[in-house]
Amino acid sequence: MNTIEITLPSKKYKRRMTIFSVSAIVVSVACIYMNFNPLGFFAEFHFVRDLLGEMFMPNYRVLADNSSIGYSILQTLSMAFLGTIYGGIIAVILAFLAALNTMPYRIVRVLTSITLSLLRVIPVLVVILIFVIAVGPGVFAGMLTLVITTIGTFGKLFAEIIENTENPPGEAIYSVGASRLQVIRFSIIPQILPSLIANLLYAFDVNIRTAIGLGIFGGGGIGFQLQMAKSVLHYKDVTALISIIIVLVILAEKLSDFLRRKILGDGKLR
Amino acid sequence: MIEVKNLTKSLPNGRMLLDGISFKVRKGEFVGILGPSGAGKTLTLRCLNGLLKPDTGEVIIHDENGNGRDICKINKRELRRVRQRIGVIFQGYHLVKRLSALENVMIGRLGQISTARSLFYGFTDGEAAEALLALEKVKIGHLAEIKTGNLSGGEMQRVAIARAIFQLPTLLIADEPISNLDPSNAKVIMKMIKPLSATMPVVGVFHQPDMTAKYCTRVIAIKDGKVIYDGDPKLSNDMLVEIYGEELSLIEQQEHAVPAMLIN
Amino acid sequence: MNNRNMPYRLCLLTDFMKWREFSFKRYRKWLLPLLILAAMTEGAAIICGATFGKLEEGLLKGISFLGFMFPPDWSAFAEMVQPAFQSIVIAFLGTVFGTILSVVFALLAAANISNPWVRNITRLLIGLERSIPEIVILLLLIAAFGLGSMPGIIALSLGCIGMLGKLLADTIEELDPIMMESMESVGANKMQIIVFGVLPQIMPNLISYALFRFEINIRLSVILGAVGAGGVGYELDYSFGMLQYHRAFTALLVIIVMIFGTERLSYILRGKIKMEGALK
Repeated sequence: MNTIEITLPSKKYKRRMTIFSVSAIVVSVACIYMNFNPLGFFAEFHFVRDLLGEMFMPNYRVLADNSSIGYSILQTLSMAFLGTIYGGIIAVILAFLAALNTMPYRIVRVLTSITLSLLRVIPVLVVILIFVIAVGPGVFAGMLTLVITTIGTFGKLFAEIIENTENPPGEAIYSVGASRLQVIRFSIIPQILPSLIANLLYAFDVNIRTAIGLGIFGGGGIGFQLQMAKSVLHYKDVTALISIIIVLVILAEKLSDFLRRKILGDGKLR
Repeated sequence: MIEVKNLTKSLPNGRMLLDGISFKVRKGEFVGILGPSGAGKTLTLRCLNGLLKPDTGEVIIHDENGNGRDICKINKRELRRVRQRIGVIFQGYHLVKRLSALENVMIGRLGQISTARSLFYGFTDGEAAEALLALEKVKIGHLAEIKTGNLSGGEMQRVAIARAIFQLPTLLIADEPISNLDPSNAKVIMKMIKPLSATMPVVGVFHQPDMTAKYCTRVIAIKDGKVIYDGDPKLSNDMLVEIYGEELSLIEQQEHAVPAMLIN
Repeated sequence: MNNRNMPYRLCLLTDFMKWREFSFKRYRKWLLPLLILAAMTEGAAIICGATFGKLEEGLLKGISFLGFMFPPDWSAFAEMVQPAFQSIVIAFLGTVFGTILSVVFALLAAANISNPWVRNITRLLIGLERSIPEIVILLLLIAAFGLGSMPGIIALSLGCIGMLGKLLADTIEELDPIMMESMESVGANKMQIIVFGVLPQIMPNLISYALFRFEINIRLSVILGAVGAGGVGYELDYSFGMLQYHRAFTALLVIIVMIFGTERLSYILRGKIKMEGALK
């Protein structure tokens, strides 16, 4: 009769409890360190209730009273749009410079890759703060920030997409001459175009959300209006603006979804 | 014993999926249900444990004292209690792949354990020992700690059988348990299911008349929602044609040969 | 011709005409959409006050300012350690609580677990949450609770719901229904099916998604910090406000190290999960 080795459930239970206890202790220590009481949200819920009370009945008249609200929506959209387009174009160009199969000169590839990585890692906050100083607060600074962040997010991605294309000719092509290089460009471009468009539409989506956030730091647009309303405690205006933001974001999402489907046919985002 | 009386189920457009299905299965019987695809076999089986509620009819399950309950009429909590004692084997990979074979067997008694204890503590060592015994009965005790997803199809079905054994059931139902298995594994599984019928009624849906001929004590054929045959598992060629509508011939399988069905 | 002054619309047109040499017919269907795009870009550019020239100028100004911020204030590094650690802890707690919340939401939002009414309402809530930028959530929480790490952690937790809730709900819905039917047939109730069937199956995905979200939360923690949640984001904003740009550069470097480190860690851990998740 051979015995079979199994872990007894009681041992497994002990193991599970240990892991759970240790995790709970780590989390609790972290909470204490940060002075955070998770239950505080519920214990001090009256704050939330008071706030909700002040916020409720959104004041849509603020749209009529303050004509700049409507304009600021346009500003946010433009910011996101331009940031995506300009950023996208530059990202594509840099991607070509960084991709293995389109840039034969290693030094250029390496330098571009490093640049793209740096741009990716630099936090949005720093970028907006810098541009606010460099070109003054407002929509322009916000737009430039979005250009940079778009390049950062998508530059590397586009480079990978380019590298993943099916490319029959080998490196021999490069020795043949410039016009052939252009032929490669136009064999790669049709292949990457669907992915490119899908990602740009997605970028637009993300950039709208970011643009709203940037408004708070001086980027202009509806985020800025939100911050303004909040600082003068016009909470009913705040609610109205938030609802507009939600509608805006959802519409943008539906739009980008619709466009993606129209241009590319049904299928998931690659 | 399980008693099925006059089951009917129809689609909204009027088509009858089940049209008066009635039969009885007693302890000691291993019944195989055959029939062409879409005939209503699986629907009938699902009525047997309440996964499907028929439009009319009764499904009466008798426990060991002989008291019968019509499971079509009981509430969810009672149904759960009845299901504790019904073992099920489905087709394909129906166990939890990321849990070990042993854990999957122990899941069989989840209905019999209090919810609180099962969720916060899990299973007891005693239950684990019994589950191991069940796995050894189906000859895969050595695979107890292996994640079920890593087992072969035949091994997984054996875990399913072990799970059923572990439940100490009063009824065993199987939905095409061997359809996904190669012939030698199918034989092994049938050989393991058959002895279980000594202590409880066993009802299974099959697509393999040669297997039911060899291992079942009785065969029921369902076509177009009706029972058209109920009797000897060794079906004649004419009967096969009537059931499946094709020229089929059954070759009696020898001990080590692979069973074959020829289509003329 | 001085490219700097040429309106971008003309640039687009001349580029487009160069393509004619290859095959005009093929690109004809792009004509209308491109014109619309060009028109929209023009409109947006007017609103933002951004022509090609100004764009280039602005970018260069920004980059040169970055250069101006260099070198970092070396003495400030020591001051940045604690805030950086705080930002990490904020992100960590936000991810932990956010994941727990998301699991609850995901279970409610999965068609194979909850009833249609609950499922649709929960999906709506998840979609709604996705539409609200975390900063907005933070502003509201600050309005309610004041400044500090608490609104930051709550904002990050709530922010997880939109992403993790949806991903997990989709993962749960993709589970093989026969597995759950099998468990139901032996008498398990809903809670047991969830604990013994659903959770073990989605665990690798859950951890993977959570790690990915942690990366995102670290970045958010920096931004939210500047708005008032504390940590190194606050230090950065403060430095800018006090015109101490070298100190700000120090903060920037610390943040970059933080983000890089987190990404590496997350990548390595997710790689290990992938191997584990292959049912070993």
